[in-house]
Amino acid sequence: MVGVSEILNTVQMGLAYMVIALPLTLSYRVTQVINFVHIIFITLGAYTVALLGLVGLTNVWIAMGAAFLLGGALAVLDNVAVFEPLWRRGSDVLIIMVASLGLWIFYKYLIYAVLDKLFIVLRTNTLSVLVHTEGFPSVSLGGITIDGYLIDTVVASVIVSLALYLILMRTRIGKAIRAIADNQVLAEISGIPRGRVLNFMWFLSGGIAAVGGVLWALFQTTVTPEIGDQIILQVFSIAVIGGLYSLTKTAIGAFIVSGTENIVIAVLHDAFGLPLSFRPFLVFLVLLVVILIWPPLGAGGGLPYRFRVRHRSRR
Amino acid sequence: MESIIGFLISWLPIFAIYGILSISLNLEIGYTGMANFGKVAFYAIGAYLSAALTISVMLSLVGKNVPLYSIEAVQALSTEGTGALYTHPAALVGLFVLSLVLAFLVAGAVGYLITYPTLRVGPAFLGITVLAFGEMFRVFMRNYEPLGSTKGLFGLNNPFVWLGNSLLSQGLFALVALGLLLAVYVYAERFVNSPLGRTLRAIKDDEVAALCLGKHVPRVKATVFFIASGMAGVAGVLWTFYQGSVQPDTFVPILTFYVWAMVILGGMGNNLGALLGAAVFTLVDRALTFAAGMMGPSLIIPPNYLRWMIVGLVIVLVLMFRPEGIKPARPIKTPAWEAVKEEVGKDG
Amino acid sequence: MADPILEVKDVAKYFGGVKALDGVTLSVPRGGMIGLIGPNGSGKTTLFNVITGFYVPTRGEVWFEGERIDGLNPNEVYLKGIVRTFQIPRLFPSLTVLENVLLTPPNQIGERPLYAPIRSKWEKQERELARKAVRLLKRFGLGDYIHASVSELSAAHIKLLETIRGLMTDAKLYLLDEPAAGVAYDMAKEMFSFVRRLRDEEGLTFFIIEHRLEVLMEFVDYVYVLHNGKLLAEGKPDEVVQNKAVIEAYLGG
Repeated sequence: MVGVSEILNTVQMGLAYMVIALPLTLSYRVTQVINFVHIIFITLGAYTVALLGLVGLTNVWIAMGAAFLLGGALAVLDNVAVFEPLWRRGSDVLIIMVASLGLWIFYKYLIYAVLDKLFIVLRTNTLSVLVHTEGFPSVSLGGITIDGYLIDTVVASVIVSLALYLILMRTRIGKAIRAIADNQVLAEISGIPRGRVLNFMWFLSGGIAAVGGVLWALFQTTVTPEIGDQIILQVFSIAVIGGLYSLTKTAIGAFIVSGTENIVIAVLHDAFGLPLSFRPFLVFLVLLVVILIWPPLGAGGGLPYRFRVRHRSRR
Repeated sequence: MESIIGFLISWLPIFAIYGILSISLNLEIGYTGMANFGKVAFYAIGAYLSAALTISVMLSLVGKNVPLYSIEAVQALSTEGTGALYTHPAALVGLFVLSLVLAFLVAGAVGYLITYPTLRVGPAFLGITVLAFGEMFRVFMRNYEPLGSTKGLFGLNNPFVWLGNSLLSQGLFALVALGLLLAVYVYAERFVNSPLGRTLRAIKDDEVAALCLGKHVPRVKATVFFIASGMAGVAGVLWTFYQGSVQPDTFVPILTFYVWAMVILGGMGNNLGALLGAAVFTLVDRALTFAAGMMGPSLIIPPNYLRWMIVGLVIVLVLMFRPEGIKPARPIKTPAWEAVKEEVGKDG
Repeated sequence: MADPILEVKDVAKYFGGVKALDGVTLSVPRGGMIGLIGPNGSGKTTLFNVITGFYVPTRGEVWFEGERIDGLNPNEVYLKGIVRTFQIPRLFPSLTVLENVLLTPPNQIGERPLYAPIRSKWEKQERELARKAVRLLKRFGLGDYIHASVSELSAAHIKLLETIRGLMTDAKLYLLDEPAAGVAYDMAKEMFSFVRRLRDEEGLTFFIIEHRLEVLMEFVDYVYVLHNGKLLAEGKPDEVVQNKAVIEAYLGG
């Protein structure tokens, strides 16, 4: 049955996805690199809120602020230490992407190792933590209970998207970011301080993604070291729906995927008895359909090749 | 001496498996420039195909009609002396060989098909789609009851287990694995040192320009994906018979990046480099396991985490400081060189 | 025009609302050396992209040697005998000069996946092609660079190499996109006189986009002028340079 809970879940999940995927599209559009460390930003944000709750700091807004700073700092560190030197040397974007893959693996197991030690100190014997934090209280509206976490998510994602819009469209640094996205080399020649602008862009991307991680933790309510990895497919599918180019389409993609994962699966489950564990297959299907029908040619590069010839040559 | 042999028969198959995987990835990324982030999918297809095929046929040979993953199946297969693995040696070896052939064809065909939706989009999209495909396969296997869902399939052993002497049977298996690795290496070397290898490099440099020179780029790429995926399938078969079992959670995405680290360290575009990379990583892995056994829990970072941290760091550091790897890409060798020498020499 | 090798009939290409080409009709005679000029954004490269199969035209037809070729893929167009060079040369940097040339002949035996690992199947053909390539490189003064990497060549040599490697095949029509861009004036003249020599000696056909009119007009025998996706003028070089509309388009655009 598609009920109120599926719809509320779609909204909360979709908003979290949106906040996570927007910065992925942004950083790809500016640097042409798919950043796999993005997954780490999510995990980082999720553990920030979980661990702060564990030590008694249970204000969700403080957690989001801390996650923003941590995620942003990590993103800038990556850029300064790895991405920028590689770009300077003229490395292919594919190579930079593979380097981000290496960073992702390194950070992931670093997190495992650190948590391993930390939880000996904290005397818990599991790496997963229940999220304990407080924001808005739950509200009852005409018999429907709206969870406080959902209200937090709505408020946070509105703030984030509004801020992102204003920064990109109304500020000088936003204009500079867009100029670099159009042509890195040209932007640098025309006097834009490319290095500084990129660092700012990475800070923004990492920070927002980590805030997305907090929102995702609020949705999941339990945080594990795999929390970021579990939504790789979803987040990348959303970004592909956005063509890795359009922020608006990315936002729409977030709701397409979360709708697929909540409403479509529920409908199919009721109608055809499709097991709920088939959720990821539906997302994969969405990804394939998008790539086949609207291939993101402009942003992703690609071959001017058509499988179907419009007509056969004739004499 | 005995410990060296013991080490070799346990290490050689692993080296062969990863050697085949890294040569196959090298064909894709090193020579053709296709980023395959889902190598593990084709490896898993080979592993599952061989396990399901061998177990089901062996069970029917001894007339047991039980689920493939059941305890009864394991008993019927591998009880020493009376299990099917011991009573039907010819069938076991035959199934091993058949598995190799079928795994190559099936994994290759799947690889060929999966390039279709992704050929027209950039390399990053191919990578992500195949990565997603691999995860789909794993999730499917985790939920697929007939093949044991999360527990997977058990009860197999190396194809020569009926010889009785475990040193002999494992040693023989190690040699067979090494032979397959050698065959794959020789094939890959010949494959790339040819006019086709030249075309592959051209596609890697600039696929649009290659298309404009009349090269059927989509078909060439799909063919390379077929061959490389088939090789990964063969590696999967070796894994099944080495391990004696398959579990879905062996085939996590990170395994793909383990192979990437091997290729990057060894040198993209050099088959010998890919082998070297595979040797280095499998040996480091052994050393870590050994050290962990010696030091126990006093190790600051648990070996399993340390291993992956090293993998991640190696990828980043090699790309930053020695992007060509241990062995840089070699120029393509064809008889053109000799012909040129003759022609240039003609008019002094 | 007598015996056209290439005919473009009412070709249009729209990108969304932008009409990059809007009904262009022109023809290139066999053995001709034809210029295509126009201000930036007038649709010259788009026209080349339509002819070589990068784009399917929104409307219209392209005929090559009595065969309709619009809608074919770029590789199929090449196999029909049309070679194209790019504004920014696209040679293959990880291949040597020789290998860049050896790449061009289509359907080599050693390119078939099944035969590639079996050297004996393709060795003879490979040797023949290599000898032909060396003769070609020597003939055009690139004999010292046979084993050089492409990055060691000068800009002019790169343009030269991109053009002559088509001679390995029996391509008949060459589409050159700004062969003199980024080359010194003397070299540009040399480049064009070399193209004319090829035309005269080999009977090839050239269709050339060029911004440097002072060089182009000296060498071509006919010029088409594009403006805003439409044919603005055509004629002998000296007629075209005096055409009022052309002068206006260049000054205004």
